[in-house]
Amino acid sequence: MTRLSTGWKRAAAVALASVSMFSVTAASALEITVWCWDPNFNGATMKEAAERYAALHPDVTVNIVDFAKADLETKLQAQLASGTTDGLPDIVLIEDYGAQKYLQSFPGAFEPLNDKVDYSGFAPYKVELATVNGQTYSLPFDSGVTGYFYRSDLLAEAGFDAAALENITWDKLIEIGKAVKEKTGGTLLPIDPNDAGWLRIMMQSAGSWYFNPDGSVHIADNPVLKASIETYQRLLAAGISKPVAGWTEYTGSFTSGDTLSTFTGVWMTGTIKANADQSGKWAIAPLPALDGVEGATNASNLGGSSWYVLSSSAEKAEAVDFLAEIWGKDVDFYQKILVNQGALGSLLAAREGEAYKASDEFFGGAPVWQNFSDWLSAIPAVNYGIFTNEADAAVVAQIPNITSGGNIDEIIAAIDSQVRQQVQ
Amino acid sequence: MSNPLALLGRVATYALLIIAAFVSVFPFLWMLIGATNYSADIIKGKVTPGTALLQNISVFFNSVDMPRILFNSFFIAGVGTALTLLISSLAGYGFEMFRSKFREKVFGGLLLMLSIPFAALMIPLFIMMANFKMINTYQAIILPTVASIFIIFYFRQATKAFPHELRDAARIDGLKEWQIFLYVYMPVMRSTYAAATIIVFMANWNNYLWPLIVLQTNEMKTLTLVVAGLTSAYTPDFGVVMVGAIFATLPTLVIFFLLQRRFVEGMLGAVK
Amino acid sequence: MAQSGLARNEHLSGWLFVMPALVLLGLFMIYPILWSLWMSFQVGRGMAFSFGGFTNIMRLTQDPVFLRALTNTLTFLAIQVPIMLVLALLFANALNDSKLWGRGLFRTAIFLPCVTSLVAYSVVFRSMFAQDGVINQFLMFAHIIASPIPWMADPFWSKVVIISAITWRWTGYNMIFYLAAMQNIDRSIYEAAKIDGVPAWARFWYITVPMLKPVILFTTVISTIGTLQLFDEPNLIPSTPGAPSDSTLTLSLYIYNLSFKFMPSFGYAATVSYVIVVMVGILTLIQFLAARERRT
Repeated sequence: MTRLSTGWKRAAAVALASVSMFSVTAASALEITVWCWDPNFNGATMKEAAERYAALHPDVTVNIVDFAKADLETKLQAQLASGTTDGLPDIVLIEDYGAQKYLQSFPGAFEPLNDKVDYSGFAPYKVELATVNGQTYSLPFDSGVTGYFYRSDLLAEAGFDAAALENITWDKLIEIGKAVKEKTGGTLLPIDPNDAGWLRIMMQSAGSWYFNPDGSVHIADNPVLKASIETYQRLLAAGISKPVAGWTEYTGSFTSGDTLSTFTGVWMTGTIKANADQSGKWAIAPLPALDGVEGATNASNLGGSSWYVLSSSAEKAEAVDFLAEIWGKDVDFYQKILVNQGALGSLLAAREGEAYKASDEFFGGAPVWQNFSDWLSAIPAVNYGIFTNEADAAVVAQIPNITSGGNIDEIIAAIDSQVRQQVQ
Repeated sequence: MSNPLALLGRVATYALLIIAAFVSVFPFLWMLIGATNYSADIIKGKVTPGTALLQNISVFFNSVDMPRILFNSFFIAGVGTALTLLISSLAGYGFEMFRSKFREKVFGGLLLMLSIPFAALMIPLFIMMANFKMINTYQAIILPTVASIFIIFYFRQATKAFPHELRDAARIDGLKEWQIFLYVYMPVMRSTYAAATIIVFMANWNNYLWPLIVLQTNEMKTLTLVVAGLTSAYTPDFGVVMVGAIFATLPTLVIFFLLQRRFVEGMLGAVK
Repeated sequence: MAQSGLARNEHLSGWLFVMPALVLLGLFMIYPILWSLWMSFQVGRGMAFSFGGFTNIMRLTQDPVFLRALTNTLTFLAIQVPIMLVLALLFANALNDSKLWGRGLFRTAIFLPCVTSLVAYSVVFRSMFAQDGVINQFLMFAHIIASPIPWMADPFWSKVVIISAITWRWTGYNMIFYLAAMQNIDRSIYEAAKIDGVPAWARFWYITVPMLKPVILFTTVISTIGTLQLFDEPNLIPSTPGAPSDSTLTLSLYIYNLSFKFMPSFGYAATVSYVIVVMVGILTLIQFLAARERRT
């Protein structure tokens, strides 16, 4: 790139420094800065971890900075792209879908942790998604293991109990939705027409993705993707869903009883339990499976994120040690964040703890965490690749056509061509 | 006025203005009402005041370090506005009062630069700020906005109305060029400055994308960033967001009402 | 001798006055512009790129997302700018009547939206246009619609929301320009026309509008530039930027996605931004020519 001559640059820097009104306060020697995005969820868990580490190492303080998730991603990308490390944190939280994008487009920006962390103790799919050329860069954090959350009281009115929802397929769920509609008039699902989460859930449940393990586009010739879109179109055509716009309307829809259920990641548990008056009226079933697809399972994932250490960090050794000590080993810590934040970590040893074995009256006394842990270990590992955002955007652009009953082959061809165009 | 057609026109005019005024003011009322309601009620379109005001305010103040955030916002917008007015009015005055062919060409070039979207300039600007060691500083936000092409245009237009006799008289009295600007031009053009103050302060106060990239720590965030952060949480509490929105709106409103009388006068000069 | 000394002094003063601004613009505007111009001929991902000549320009023609963003942006431009400027002109004309009761009040009320804070206004609009929000409730209460309009879930209605929002925010701003200009028009022209029995609409059309031509041109150019760069509203009002299904995706938002959301593709993003520059250039030229033609 064009570089200004050094002398000129220095002169300008001096000139600007002289008008400098405030200077950045230098970070104290042992402060670890962490970027994350939800002060009530991942921020709170990090705070708990920081307190535990501080008890062992009083000289280290952890400074947690939270931004909106989209804002954090913008900042991180702008900063990494500029090639300057000034102002980067020591640890950053990255959503799993974006992990490979950052790791591959900014080689050397993140620190491999293989020497410090025993990855055999974590859910395999979480490890795989943060691995490039045999090096693993993340400390795996929360899982997005999916479940089918439903109002057991309202579905029971239509004659469906827990057994009727155990390990079913999507077409069975559509039938249930129709029967519920007929008997009670209730709407089964809220659907956000601007979200491609359903497709990611369905594809991964059968071990497939937009991309092949080698990173090449796998859309036009992908039977799982086709079956998923067909299923989604049938679901919409069945008249058992209600359109919602955005997260607030979506969560508001099923927590207010306007719709009866949703399929989503385990992290939704906290949002649902926030409505204490609905205790005992909810239950969680495994995710429905795709029909007639090879490798279809009742387990999948939506979202989830992991911690990464920046190679540029001045406190790299402490940051790695902090993650390895608390996040990599402390089973008791995982019990605490499970209870307080509903955060289901991916450390397998944690599931032997007390909190994981407890049953939850809110969900009719079911051992929900044990169930989620079982489903977690069954999630098929897929390679999210580096272009998941681009592929999602291409799918979302076609949702109006899917909704209006358009020809699936044409829709898939359109998605395929947009993705191929975008990844060139 | 006895003409029935004129009367009809009069009624139509009032109807138009009343509707326009209502539509313009309603969102402000909605914001005030929203601050008194619970999040769930706001989403449901509840139009009556609720009882959650104190709770919303206390949640807001507990989650935001308001003194610090307000200081950041006022410092950036205040210093930014003062510098922008000075530097850009100097340039507008210079372009209009001292004509040269070459400067006219430079001026023409500025117009085209107005049309470049900021998103395209962010990365090089960021690299530059990093080289100057100015990431996470106030000056990184203020400096790029100080020479505002739009405000230079605005002052150049307004300067066309500045009476040349005043300048000639001042020269005869032996004032230097900078003294003429400072002691004659600026006081005479105070309405123009008032109008520009509103426009520039508003732009600085609302600046979002660039501060988002450059500011790295919680202590440096502006109110605009904080409120935007509240809205994009997983489960935003709209009641609390409305409280934040009111605080984010108040300063620009106050400045507008303080300078309102001079404002239309100031715009007048710019469109001659 | 004295004359040339004065001229030199004049020349020097001219530069001294504009120099601070030019230095800052050179640093914070021209340098980044040149960087992005150079980038627009580079291809590649992240920070690994190479010279690609016109590859990026070719890519534009085959990119469905770019074409969608371009169509949306031009739709916003073609619909929003005329609506806003006509409304501004009407309001200004109504308020220009010195006998009008509550003149200052109306003027302040209509101007108020443009001094609101950007984030405040986005969140207020987002909540007003929610599925069960106050707008739908009002329309249903007034029996204008039978069932709620899915404002932000529908490709058509989401555009309507964005257009309403921008119009709400900037109509008063443009109105002030017109109002100020109208007060420069000599009252006696209107009085004379009135005595000759020229009706109000004709006075507006044949006196006010032609006299305002320079201001109308100015506001048109400024609004065109603003709308072609439209970013804040489609970024903050929909549930996710550009939602639903890219129906509010603008060119600026696409540039932002290409740089900061997708695998960074700065070269191509820079190319898209120069599309905006070229369009502004062409449209401004057309507007100037149209204004000049009508004069003869």
